[in-house]
Amino acid sequence: MKKGLRGFTMLLTVIMLVSLLAACGGKNNNTPNATNNAGNATNSGGNSSESLEKDTITALLPPASANFQARFPEMEKEFNEMYPHLTLKIEPASWEDMTQKLDTQVNAGSPPDIAWVGSTAISKYAALDVLLDLNQVLSDEVKADYDEVPMKFFQLGDAQYGLPAYLAIHSIGGNKQFLEEAGIDYKAVQENGWTYDEFREAIKAGVVKDDKGNTSRYGFVFATSGVTSKDYLSIMAKSAGLPEYFDEDYKFTYTSKNFLGLLEAIRQMIDDGSMPKELSSIDAGKRWNMFLTGQTMITGKGLASFENSARLNNEKIKANDGSAVADSIEAEYIALPVPSFNGADYIPTAVVDGFIALRGKKEPSEAHLHNIGLAIHYLSSGSVAANFTNELFLSPVSESARNAEVLEVYPRSEENLKADEIMMSKAVAARTDIPTELAAEAIKIETEVIVPKLQALLADEISPQEMYDAVKAAAIKSFGEDGVVVD
Amino acid sequence: MNQTLTKRRKLRLESDSGWGYAFIAVALIAFCLFTAYPVINAFMISLQEYRPLGSTYVGLENFKNSFTDELFWKAIKNTAVYTLLTVPINILISFLIAILIIPFKKRTQTVFKAIYYLPAVASGVAMAVVWLWIFDPLKSGIANQIVMFFGMENQNWLGSSATAMFSLVLMSWLSSHGTAIIIYLAALLGIDNSYYEAAEIDGATFLQKLWFIVIPFLKPTTLFLLVTGIIGSFQVFQNAYLMTGGGPDHATTMVGLLIFNNAFTYFEFGEAAAQSLVLAAIIAIVSFIQFKFLGKDIEY
Repeated sequence: MKKGLRGFTMLLTVIMLVSLLAACGGKNNNTPNATNNAGNATNSGGNSSESLEKDTITALLPPASANFQARFPEMEKEFNEMYPHLTLKIEPASWEDMTQKLDTQVNAGSPPDIAWVGSTAISKYAALDVLLDLNQVLSDEVKADYDEVPMKFFQLGDAQYGLPAYLAIHSIGGNKQFLEEAGIDYKAVQENGWTYDEFREAIKAGVVKDDKGNTSRYGFVFATSGVTSKDYLSIMAKSAGLPEYFDEDYKFTYTSKNFLGLLEAIRQMIDDGSMPKELSSIDAGKRWNMFLTGQTMITGKGLASFENSARLNNEKIKANDGSAVADSIEAEYIALPVPSFNGADYIPTAVVDGFIALRGKKEPSEAHLHNIGLAIHYLSSGSVAANFTNELFLSPVSESARNAEVLEVYPRSEENLKADEIMMSKAVAARTDIPTELAAEAIKIETEVIVPKLQALLADEISPQEMYDAVKAAAIKSFGEDGVVVD
Repeated sequence: MNQTLTKRRKLRLESDSGWGYAFIAVALIAFCLFTAYPVINAFMISLQEYRPLGSTYVGLENFKNSFTDELFWKAIKNTAVYTLLTVPINILISFLIAILIIPFKKRTQTVFKAIYYLPAVASGVAMAVVWLWIFDPLKSGIANQIVMFFGMENQNWLGSSATAMFSLVLMSWLSSHGTAIIIYLAALLGIDNSYYEAAEIDGATFLQKLWFIVIPFLKPTTLFLLVTGIIGSFQVFQNAYLMTGGGPDHATTMVGLLIFNNAFTYFEFGEAAAQSLVLAAIIAIVSFIQFKFLGKDIEY
């Protein structure tokens, strides 16, 4: 081998090695460690105005609303204008990647300072000791800006681990024309709710069959597959006397007869022919497609923003736009509450998403923690929150957001607006007292037993009693005979 | 003294073996960084209750939990069933397709190779979306249109325990043969024509040539595909994750999916690492058995 060629090959080899090692390294300014170091540097600086030292706060945020991520550069700029010594670096993530990206960073000990999560995930991160209590950095004035109910969703014990972005009600939604054809007084339902028996009769009346006796329209279709697998049961359970996995005495509630009653109702609706027998394979996209194509009268879960999605599709149909959903019909979306089961009160499923503050392997300095407090409040209030809640057709949960102007005003149905307000008024605050170990164990039962057994129940492979027995056995194994509700 | 040392170093670097070591170092360092270190680290984590801010040593607790977990054994069983149903049939399908392609001219062969290899280049997620569409549970679904043509009822392909595993197996049978076909074609081209000529002189039929010439010559290739196929199949994750999520009622929960759930849903990295090592041990034992009994008369 000639010397020159050897040298060249060696050079390539070294470049390859360096590239490999460089890929493994990666301590750049974007990493939270770097930001924490910035915070530490401010402390060691001994400056009298510590909090005015330069610092960088990182945030990992999903596309919470249609234009949320497009506004990130403006938000970073505005925050920097408000606090010239601070830099807010927002890393966008898709909904698909968000949890996995965050979990990987958390478990590697280098999470972002701020991340967007659903409030139900708080116990998961609290169990890892990676959450920062913001009580010490949020003033009473800042805390008072937020509504009490959503604020509670980001508390565990006395700790305030984050701030709420919005409160959304998971409801169901109907096609106005089909509801009227089935003789359903939807306005009364919006105002007063309905019981399971009333609902059962209504969805039976919504079923339409063709000449051959095949169902061409179902009364009710709920997404139960994929990411929505646990929604159906948990949303219905709230209004079936099972508002939480644990009662006031920390006993697991899904062992009560209310749970069996709910499972029987779930099976009944399929056996009646009001819901498709293939329900266990219907995912979120499919059930929305079924709604827009007139294959179902009522769909779930429903969100306030669905009214806008239906309206936009209607406009495309009217304009003969080719991008309208294939075979879709004009459909006016009517927001409806879920029925109540077992004679229980209606309790809506309130979903509160928001921002949590995280720490890595290094303890953040006081100055850095203070700066995280400033950034997290900026993201969850004022015009930032006003715009993403507006795009989602939701009401803001902070006073400053309610008073802020929005960039675009969207038309809303007065009926739906009123129905949403009624549902939101019935939302109850989250339990902040459930120990993280109990919550983690409940999540494990949910994932390993409840969701798989529900799939089998929907596919008619097991009876409601068999599912109830399986969940009860798993609960007793986890919490003991004394740790579960017996009635 | 210094001069002698420098001379020696120079000599060492200038000799071919010195350069050889230098080049091997790249692969060796990459192996240490990306294979050996993660395996050793996984073993360490399997003995801990892993927490990002400080783990605690728990001995063999994670292994004990795995061995007493019914779901772990169910996942092992599901993975074994999936492997038994997919690997041999996939090898057979690839072999048959390769046999059908080999008589064509080189250019036509290349076209077929490209067509069959295309799914391997496509994104797994995109492929899963297409298959989800095929397995649409309603009567409008493609798979249901086919079964209804034969007078059967529409099937809840991925939502029923009776059909979910079969659906994943069918998906495997009908896709991803590209690599095996290319390997078989390369092996088929390596068989000297004189064997076929001699067989023809003796009046051998097509099937006799296949049985007495092709299959024995392709035995090392088949063993390679069998071993790598079983290893890949035991690690199957993507299809179950994207198509069924392991359901219904854990009918399609594979070990890979269970490990993923333990790690990223429950943050039980210790248990996930323990299960990964058990899976690695199972794969090693199965591979050893294959080499021991099927690789006896194979020369490399």
